[in-house]
Amino acid sequence: MGQEVQVEAVVAELAALLGEAHVSTRESDRLIYATDWSWMLQMWLDRGMEPTMPDIIVYPGSAEEVAGILKIAGRCRLPVVPWGGGSGSQGGAGPVFGGILLDTKRMNRIIQINETSLTVTAQAGIIGTQLEWALNERGLTLPHYPASANCATLGGYLAPRGSGVISTKYGKAEDLVLSMEVVLPDGTIIRTPQVPNHASGPDFMGLWVGAEGTLGIITEATMQIEHLPASRLLRGLLFKDLSKALEAGRRIMTQRLNPLVIRLYDEPSTRKTVKRVLNLDLEGAYMVLGFDGWPEIAAAQEKRALDICFELGAQDLGREPGEEWWRHRYDFYYPPLSLHLPQMYGTTETVTTFDHIERLYYAKRAVIEENYAAWEVNYIGHFSHWFPWGVMLYDRFVINQPPQDAHEALALHNEIWLRAVRTSLAHGGMLNEHHGIGFKLGHLMPEQYGPAWPLLQAIKDTLDPQGIMNPGKLGFKVQAPASGSKNYEFWAADQKTKIKSMSSF
Amino acid sequence: MPIELQNVKHTTEFCRYCLMCRHVCPATAVTRNEATSPHGWALLIASVERGLAGWNEETVDTLYQCLDCGLCQAHCVTIQPLPLAISAGRAEVVSQQAAPAVVYGLQQKLQQWGNVYAETAPEHVVGQGEAALIVGAAGRYLQPESVEAAVQLLAATGVKVIPIAVGRETPYLANTLGLPGEARHLAQATLAEIEATGAKRVFVLGPGDLYAYQTILNYLGFVWPQTVELLEVSAYLAGQVEAGKLSFKPVELTDYTFYDPDHTVRAPGRWEAPRKLLTALSQTPPIELFWRRERAAPCGASGGLPFTQPELSALLARARLAEAEAYGVKTLLTDDPLVLYQLRRHAVGNKIELKGLFELLAGQL
Repeated sequence: MGQEVQVEAVVAELAALLGEAHVSTRESDRLIYATDWSWMLQMWLDRGMEPTMPDIIVYPGSAEEVAGILKIAGRCRLPVVPWGGGSGSQGGAGPVFGGILLDTKRMNRIIQINETSLTVTAQAGIIGTQLEWALNERGLTLPHYPASANCATLGGYLAPRGSGVISTKYGKAEDLVLSMEVVLPDGTIIRTPQVPNHASGPDFMGLWVGAEGTLGIITEATMQIEHLPASRLLRGLLFKDLSKALEAGRRIMTQRLNPLVIRLYDEPSTRKTVKRVLNLDLEGAYMVLGFDGWPEIAAAQEKRALDICFELGAQDLGREPGEEWWRHRYDFYYPPLSLHLPQMYGTTETVTTFDHIERLYYAKRAVIEENYAAWEVNYIGHFSHWFPWGVMLYDRFVINQPPQDAHEALALHNEIWLRAVRTSLAHGGMLNEHHGIGFKLGHLMPEQYGPAWPLLQAIKDTLDPQGIMNPGKLGFKVQAPASGSKNYEFWAADQKTKIKSMSSF
Repeated sequence: MPIELQNVKHTTEFCRYCLMCRHVCPATAVTRNEATSPHGWALLIASVERGLAGWNEETVDTLYQCLDCGLCQAHCVTIQPLPLAISAGRAEVVSQQAAPAVVYGLQQKLQQWGNVYAETAPEHVVGQGEAALIVGAAGRYLQPESVEAAVQLLAATGVKVIPIAVGRETPYLANTLGLPGEARHLAQATLAEIEATGAKRVFVLGPGDLYAYQTILNYLGFVWPQTVELLEVSAYLAGQVEAGKLSFKPVELTDYTFYDPDHTVRAPGRWEAPRKLLTALSQTPPIELFWRRERAAPCGASGGLPFTQPELSALLARARLAEAEAYGVKTLLTDDPLVLYQLRRHAVGNKIELKGLFELLAGQL
């Protein structure tokens, strides 16, 4: 694929730029970077398949160094794959075409905490929890609490438009960012305007929030922060009926009661996941409802929301189950409590408006349960990121005994995803709400965007005419990058099964 | 049950794709490299099992960059004993004759002398008594002043200790290097000394020694004697201060910190004791560093790093000193002798005064 480049020569040039200690071609390093948190790449390694290794790993310490790397890569037409924490589930950080893997974790400085405007400016490679601890020392918080906070970086929060468990009140990462420093594919360093709300031209910051490193690399961001709340009220509720619970959530949101969290588990999740992790033996739809802030305001908001829930038949389980969930809210992601290999699983989450959500949920459930009954598939979901106009469905399929053959497993995985995601699109949903697109869903981007897709491709072609930035991701057309690594077996297998599935369903 | 890779295999299978503790890994904090992070080590071991990698100079070097400090396990919701799995992986490497040459050199020293610092056998125990103090090799050869001070402090509370394991390593170093046979031998010798003294209370000088006898011992197939209490000197002294049985002449301390030594996180809550002792000594509270208490970051003295990865070990020590300097610390206190020695060794060019907590306290009796 493409022309051969002399990796050794590129390594020497990169070492001159960054220092030898910050460039690696060690085999063990390349092997470990062969997979991010995506099931696909993990499965590939698990089955002993040829790893999708980068050729070179670099650790820049500044935007200027990132710019230098991109200039070298551009000249040699080598792919550049940005890597923050590697915690993405869609393969966004997977080096599927080899090339240069650019680990941002050396860029981890907090540049300024502004306690007047309540903002923090930090380099993009800082790990979420480390940033949070630093803010907590001053009684402050970045109200973005994703389950991946321990491993994801600030840049990784923004690149796929991430959400955290309290996004219902404080917004997604994209709502919390004021401005960013970005290195463009040609090495130009730019800054977006220092505030996001203005009437001074279009909001071009949005080009890189959600671009997953395909249009440039985020190297610094200024984020809105908050004082740690004076109170946090959580409680558990049980609805006999998912439909009533969804309606309760809709009323709470449309009446602007400003909840911190509404986490609503469907019946299968309540029965399995809530039981397994929180040890609550419940039948029905379990909801965690939370409010925070000034005690008297939070209490009033909670009272009004509870009235709504009770009107719709909810049973109050008291504070303890809600607080227990808060304490253990990330436990779901630690093995063996989490889903893990050899299981096959996928989070086909989506977002839509209130008028579509219930039909969308049942349609997806039916599609998966009916078509994959032979695999004894489990379909579970919860509704966890709420907006004044709709809600996100975090739904998953799980197969405990998937095919052992890597190609067969990949084919089945892609087929289930395709059916699930097309069902989302057919019912007013998006391809994804906060995990991103990566290479997992890229092939469906033209289908989602229709006539608007060529516009996005044109932007990509303008900013990155050689297609070196994170190739294979977001559905942008793959040019022929030169690379020392010639084995693209995974990419070929993935594409083959996707093409087959798309023509079949 | 002896530590063998098969016995902790499930841990590497779980940890190989889990990233939830990487933010506390001190090695990753310095290297930034995924390969030298908890999931990196687990994935490496799992990949060797699958034939995707083999033990060669490079992969073994990666495996030996783990500090065996316990932070990953302490921050794991399901408490996966990854450090033990890594030690077991190293044992396999040693058995395949693929370990770094320095490990085999250390193995010989441990077999012959019971320590890695001097060509002298451990001293014989003399006498019997109610209490004993495990001096160890670091206490005997690297930081004897700390041991003398600890003995004085214990005596001030009416406890006369019989020094044991004088010049002998705990089982920790051997085990972490992948030498479980030597670890067993060392553990057995110290257990025999404890029995010989008839001691009902055995003191250790730091959290690393506590971990060695509380946890490693069990994994090596031994059981700590049920009738013998194992406790840290700092914790005991803090209890005596609280009970009004021990006091100190006040001393003026300013711009100082207490550095929570390596392995602190393996003894949850142990960070309170030295702070209580300092409160008894000075009215000025210590400056608290970022990497403290539950997230106390080690200084490179653990995991055998000073021998197998001297550069990384030095980087870690300098990182701790740099952090203290950035916080405006003028005096850094710590209680673990090996950790004090490690920091002093790498403090060249640093203006911070390094003091042993026991030495300071003993001077104020």
